Amino acid sequence: MIVVLMIVSLVLGLACGLFDIENILISTISQNTDLVLYILMFSVGISIGMQKGILKKIREYHFKIFIIPLGIILGSLLGGLICSALLGIPTGYATAITSGMGWYSLAGATISKLADAELGSIAFMSNLMREIFSFFVIPFLALHLNQYTCIAIAGATSEDTTLPVILKYTNEETVVLSVFNGMICSFFVPILISFCLNMV
Amino acid sequence: MGILIVMCIGILAGRFLVSPRLKKGNEYVSILCTFILIFAMGVMLGKKENFIEELSSLGLSSFLFFLIPAGCSIGAVYFLTKHFMKNEESESCGKELEE
Repeated sequence: MIVVLMIVSLVLGLACGLFDIENILISTISQNTDLVLYILMFSVGISIGMQKGILKKIREYHFKIFIIPLGIILGSLLGGLICSALLGIPTGYATAITSGMGWYSLAGATISKLADAELGSIAFMSNLMREIFSFFVIPFLALHLNQYTCIAIAGATSEDTTLPVILKYTNEETVVLSVFNGMICSFFVPILISFCLNMV
Repeated sequence: MGILIVMCIGILAGRFLVSPRLKKGNEYVSILCTFILIFAMGVMLGKKENFIEELSSLGLSSFLFFLIPAGCSIGAVYFLTKHFMKNEESESCGKELEE
């Protein structure tokens, strides 16, 4: 049900943008997305805070807490290498695009500026697709693989937009790992993009 | 950084201030905020000039650039967590789908 409502939200938003529908509500929402994100993060924080003993559980992971971001980064770079071979795009460009790990605004803008506009557009759309598809794939991954793989598809977005879906389909412990993963991946996105572009 | 600070304040509020009876209401707030953010993202994309043209001309390449890395990330995380992390199946895992 939640997935259907998300699709409806996205389609409604696209329709409003494409047909230039403007009213006070839409412009208020569009201009205050930062505030909505803060409310969302506060609410997610409350959910985590209500779980007794969760931080103790997370401490038990020690260095293993880095396994998920490591897997995501390696998987994204490997995916870039495969895309490079399939599409005949230089390895540095292809891995730079996949280094966005879902952070479409940063990846699109950076690659447009440092490489070219077409690659920037591919980076923007592919990372946007990663974020959008995450909403729909997370319930499937939670049921058929393990709950950590829900974080894998979300990549760098696992600490913000996809977090409520991860919370809905996994548990609070996975949510804390998800936030930690989002911080690590977000930290590495600009570093990896510039590193990969420098290889060209 | 700002969102992490806000989340930490939320964690403290959830631990010391907010009544457990409000847990369900808090979940609704999370979901509502998510819908609003997705809607706002749709508005932003719809307003972007040449969005439809870009989607049709670079769509396949973009789709491959999404699908392959996302698949590799899922595979890598599944492999690593299966071998190096305790996979404690939570009661809440997949509860939404089972309902």
